[in-house]
Amino acid sequence: MRRPIQATVTTEVATGTVAAGKGKTTTGGWRFYLGFFMKDKPAFGGLIIVAVFVIWGALEGLMQLLSLWFPHGRLFGHPYSWALIPSNPFVLNFSPSYKLQPPSLAHFPSFLFGTNVDGQSILARLMYATPHDLAAPIVVVGSALLIGMFLGTAAGYFGGWTDEVIMRLTDAFLALPALILAIAVGVLLGGGFTSVLVALMIVWWPTYARFFRAQALTIRERGYVESSKLSGSSSLKILIKHIIPNSIDPIIAYVTLDFGTVILFLAALAFIGVGLSLYPEWGSESNFGLDYFPTFWWWSIVPGIIIGVVVIGFTLVGDRLQDLISGRMTY
Amino acid sequence: MVSSIVLYLIRRSINAVITIVLLLALVFILLHTIIRSPEGLARVICGNPHCSNSAIALIIKQNGLTNPLWVQFFSYINQVFHGNLGIDTFYRGRPELSVIEAFLPITLELVVTGSALGILIGIFTGSIAASNRNRAQDYGIKAVYLTAWSAPVFLVGFVLQLIFAYWLKLLPAHGIANAFLTPPKVLTGAPLIDALIDGKWVYAYSVAQHLVLPAFALAVASFGITTRLTRASMIDALDRDYVKLAYMKGLSKRTVVWGTAFRNAVIPIITLIALTFAFSVGGAVIIEDVFSYYGMGYFTVQAIYNSDYPAILAFVLIIGLAVIIANLVADLLYAVADPRVRLT
Repeated sequence: MRRPIQATVTTEVATGTVAAGKGKTTTGGWRFYLGFFMKDKPAFGGLIIVAVFVIWGALEGLMQLLSLWFPHGRLFGHPYSWALIPSNPFVLNFSPSYKLQPPSLAHFPSFLFGTNVDGQSILARLMYATPHDLAAPIVVVGSALLIGMFLGTAAGYFGGWTDEVIMRLTDAFLALPALILAIAVGVLLGGGFTSVLVALMIVWWPTYARFFRAQALTIRERGYVESSKLSGSSSLKILIKHIIPNSIDPIIAYVTLDFGTVILFLAALAFIGVGLSLYPEWGSESNFGLDYFPTFWWWSIVPGIIIGVVVIGFTLVGDRLQDLISGRMTY
Repeated sequence: MVSSIVLYLIRRSINAVITIVLLLALVFILLHTIIRSPEGLARVICGNPHCSNSAIALIIKQNGLTNPLWVQFFSYINQVFHGNLGIDTFYRGRPELSVIEAFLPITLELVVTGSALGILIGIFTGSIAASNRNRAQDYGIKAVYLTAWSAPVFLVGFVLQLIFAYWLKLLPAHGIANAFLTPPKVLTGAPLIDALIDGKWVYAYSVAQHLVLPAFALAVASFGITTRLTRASMIDALDRDYVKLAYMKGLSKRTVVWGTAFRNAVIPIITLIALTFAFSVGGAVIIEDVFSYYGMGYFTVQAIYNSDYPAILAFVLIIGLAVIIANLVADLLYAVADPRVRLT
């Protein structure tokens, strides 16, 4: 992360946006980033959305793990898994006053997003489903980064037939729309969240491989790589010490945007029924409401809106980070 | 020039065949790593959970499932290049290709309309954003496309249905055409084109009405990327000297933006055709589910719920083929539109 920040700060100084009178300029650390996001209202809003999503996802994920380890443990008189959630997301309640209720302030906050045909609070189900939507982007983008980094850097650095083989393989993956390939792999692997994750991981790396290849192609021509080679460093050392660290910076904004894309893909796969299980999923919640649309519109619409809001958060943050990395403070 | 195009086409076709074979290998390897025993594969091909043992043995013998893997792979590729994609287990006994033949044109019609609409909207909004850089229009357009970009495709469909079908009651929300009308003779399989060829105007009108909302939903989901690229390309063009010259000549802003800059800026958009097409094919699976539009997407969702593996593999292949062709067409168009581009 060091290089772009320095670059940005010099741009800032050059364009005179740094307040000269304050006598203090931060060159790094969380203060710098917070200040950077505060300057752009939409990006700051996005940062708040992302923060709420991440904190809630991690907290609820932890509670569900606790509930798995201590099935009889109780917090506020409820099992850990839904102790922090307005109501039990799995309980069936067919009484007319609970079934298919529109969003209202009754039983606050259970009915805030309405209820479904089983009388379950949609808010509770969406809250319960959050950890999966947090885990998926981390696992998928993380693995894509690793696989793409190794294959792409190797292809770009060594060239020749290594490049040819890896890039033909990448092209074969990229020939298909990612969603279609993910559907095929997900269905072949059978039901469950893990199979969806594996499907997304298989689909996700080619873009990253391409990116790292392009980076390696430009970086291997730089002077410091040449001199490192002349001083007798091995290829592995050059790759790890010079090429990979220098190609990571520009991808950080893209990774942030990609987090949102993974959530969208997860929702889309869940919507058409890939990897369906008893565990609630944002996309499948929306699909269950399809039969009751449009009379009971909230069942389909609300999960979609929640997905959209979270993805917008990631998009705004990523968009702002792009400015940071490309050295533009304003448009 | 002509010979270079022919050479280019040959080279690209060979590349496309390699890509398809690799794709097949991928699907084949996946299938065989997940289901290892010949019995398991035979059960998948049979599709019926109550398949008798003698039937399983017959399927193993007929499909050569005990052969070494590479023999199976070559016979599989051989079958595919002869147009045999397997037997559909849901549409009992019908060959996969004939099932796809019935569904594919419907989806292609939807996807082509949707991506064309998306690109047109994107070019328009992108140009407006670029010619009003850093003004209210620019920020407004950015807000709209970032929102459309971030919304899940099915939400776009739901919202359009709610507004235009259920609230304003302007357009139908479900199906391909009014079920009470007599359908035209099947020639191409695409309902709108068939109806127009057959001269069934009422039916064609109904199909067009049913097409508007799903196509528009696809367009909304995909116009953001075109807007972004057009904006960047237009900003680049507007900074050029010939634009300054045009302003100095005293031409109006409208003439300069749409006459001079636009024609130069629009060329890179052609490369987006393939990308938007591929994106829309993915989106169509979901949009067809939302709008009960009975095309490939509906077929796929059915296959997913029935664990119909041959159908899904066939679907992946056909879509891969369509996207590869779209890529080729986009590259050729680019070369035709921009004489500076060399086909190599």
